[in-house]
Amino acid sequence: MKNNNIKMILLFLVPVAFLYTCFFIYPLGFVLSTSLVKWNGISSMKFVGIDNYKKLLTDKTFLLSIKNNIIWALSGGFIQIPLATLVALILARKPRGWKMLRTIYFLPNIISAVAIAMMWKAIYNPMYGFLNAFLEIFGIEGHNWLGEIGTALPSIIAQTVLYIGYFMIIILAATTTIPKSFYEAADIDGCSILQQEWYITLPMIRGILVTAMTLAMAYGMRHFEATFLMTNGGPAHSTSVMGLILYNKMDAFRLGEANATGTILIFLGTVVIVLIRKVLSRGDAGADSVQ
Amino acid sequence: MKKSIFLVLALSLVMAGSLFSGGQQDEVEEVTLKWPCIWVGEDSKAAAVAALVDQFNADNAGKITIEIEAQPDYDGYRQKIRTSLTAGIVPDIFTVNHGPSSMEFYESDLVMDFTDELAKGWEKDFNEGTISQATMKGMIKSLPYEVAITPVWYNMDLLKKAGVSDYPKTYADFMDTAAKLKAAGIIPTSQMTGGSNAWTSMLWYSHFLASIGGPDVYEKPFESDAYVKAAEVLLAMYSDGNTSIDAIGGDAGVSGGHFLAAESAMFINGPWYIGRVRGDAPEVYAATEVGPAPAAGKNKGAQIGFLQTNFMAAANADNPAKAAAAVKFIKWMTEAENVAEISKQAGSLFAIKYDSSTISDPLQQKFIEASNNASFTIPHLASVVAADVVSEFGQALGSMALGESTPEEFVEMLKKVNNQ
Repeated sequence: MKNNNIKMILLFLVPVAFLYTCFFIYPLGFVLSTSLVKWNGISSMKFVGIDNYKKLLTDKTFLLSIKNNIIWALSGGFIQIPLATLVALILARKPRGWKMLRTIYFLPNIISAVAIAMMWKAIYNPMYGFLNAFLEIFGIEGHNWLGEIGTALPSIIAQTVLYIGYFMIIILAATTTIPKSFYEAADIDGCSILQQEWYITLPMIRGILVTAMTLAMAYGMRHFEATFLMTNGGPAHSTSVMGLILYNKMDAFRLGEANATGTILIFLGTVVIVLIRKVLSRGDAGADSVQ
Repeated sequence: MKKSIFLVLALSLVMAGSLFSGGQQDEVEEVTLKWPCIWVGEDSKAAAVAALVDQFNADNAGKITIEIEAQPDYDGYRQKIRTSLTAGIVPDIFTVNHGPSSMEFYESDLVMDFTDELAKGWEKDFNEGTISQATMKGMIKSLPYEVAITPVWYNMDLLKKAGVSDYPKTYADFMDTAAKLKAAGIIPTSQMTGGSNAWTSMLWYSHFLASIGGPDVYEKPFESDAYVKAAEVLLAMYSDGNTSIDAIGGDAGVSGGHFLAAESAMFINGPWYIGRVRGDAPEVYAATEVGPAPAAGKNKGAQIGFLQTNFMAAANADNPAKAAAAVKFIKWMTEAENVAEISKQAGSLFAIKYDSSTISDPLQQKFIEASNNASFTIPHLASVVAADVVSEFGQALGSMALGESTPEEFVEMLKKVNNQ
């Protein structure tokens, strides 16, 4: 009987294991192994050891890209998620029109990221863009938002972190699992709304917040689209990210270096995610016991 | 008895089947060739190319069918071709911008070598020198098709509005003209640091290299002082309002857009843009003259000319029918009459000998005159350096234009990537 059970378990695991091996383990192994070679994708590979890594880690542009990706990750985790949480907590109170607002906040998530990037590129245009025209009304001088080193990266990040719909929906869904009796008790004890959110809601949805933050920061580490479309890493590499470096290496048929970039990206992403979960998940056991 | 009848019937069926299949083997199988094509949608060649493909398909009905797979985004198309090659799958027919990176394709067994076909007389159909330009290490794995020169486009109406009667011939003329244009509220030049290759500014830089360094300037890229001097001139184009404020970070839509909107007086692009200007900005089209860039050095009248697009085909070594069909189709596309028709409709110029006297477009005629009158021609910088130098150009230019680096440092950045 026990043997039969084991056989059944294995039988059900085999298809998944096969797919996992084909689409994750094998590609990962291929990337790791080819990060140690010089290869243009067509002729034979030449083993070069860690030369590709040395080249990348001594390249100022690549180091700047790592810094930019960390900024992206931190922006996602500490600007986008708090914004999403704030809006979710407000909508959780079901103010008038909350359903419509929920839809409006979520709409950008069903629009192509390319279309959004192109729209913002037009908004940021220093000669014809809406932003400078709007600032001019108040007598504020406009900028070449995507063409100045000091403003390019914040401008691209701003147009991404403002789109909070996806995380807002997740956090809003989490708030619905909190028993209403907690808030009723808090009301009776004379707690204000802010105190209820701080002492009841946030601890109760902590697990979801950590997950949302992890997702946002992971996205920041692998960010590519908006930068590629809006600035292509410029001006003067100031907005460059690791995904773009990888893309450019591929474009130049330097596949060994591209895969080394990918390996470093995977490593750094893993470190960031593990750190975040370790730091933010402390006290989760306490939150679980209240429930 | 029943068994005998059954056996006879079965034998009859088998014999009929073998006769039938023998008959089928004698029929020619239709060959379908897939062509991921960039000349679709808004491209000026789209209509002419579609008509030629339809005609070829009609003439070869039942034998060869060409299927166009629309690829309107050029950068996306380039990535598709490179990824396909890396994956070992090459489209039946495709086009490439010829340059140093073409060697990756040439070294692959997946791409057809046209050397033998050309030796049968086909080579005579091509303009002199173009086949040798397409030859790499003795292989001819691409066929020159579209060629380009990229003179400066001068909007004479805007120049006249600023009180300038003729386009500037020297650098000193340019500075004087630029001052008058700015006083009249006109942007002197269209520039861009964005896109994958900072195309417009890269062409301006190539013109200055030709003027300062002469026809041999590319012998040792980034080594001669011509590169620094050309960078100084390019920096001047980005300074003091000599270009639009959105040039830094701007792409082809920005640089071309200002010219089409009659906001900038001087622009650079190739003859494929004629159809666009004619359609979108007829007043600008009517006012445009083309000529060399203002000479920044001792070499005057140079032009930038290069192989713009070459045809390639999958080797199809295990499918001779497909290989033959591809050759037949490319020969159709390179027939003089067909090339003349595309040229007439789109404004493009070609590496094939065709009767250009039928070209009635005045701006296209000016391109041909500019090419004929050039003191010498060199290709643009992006066609002689590796892909990563091309991508670094826009970044280094942005850095220089923002004052973050000097012209010397600009050249050093490019030299460093070139030497990797």
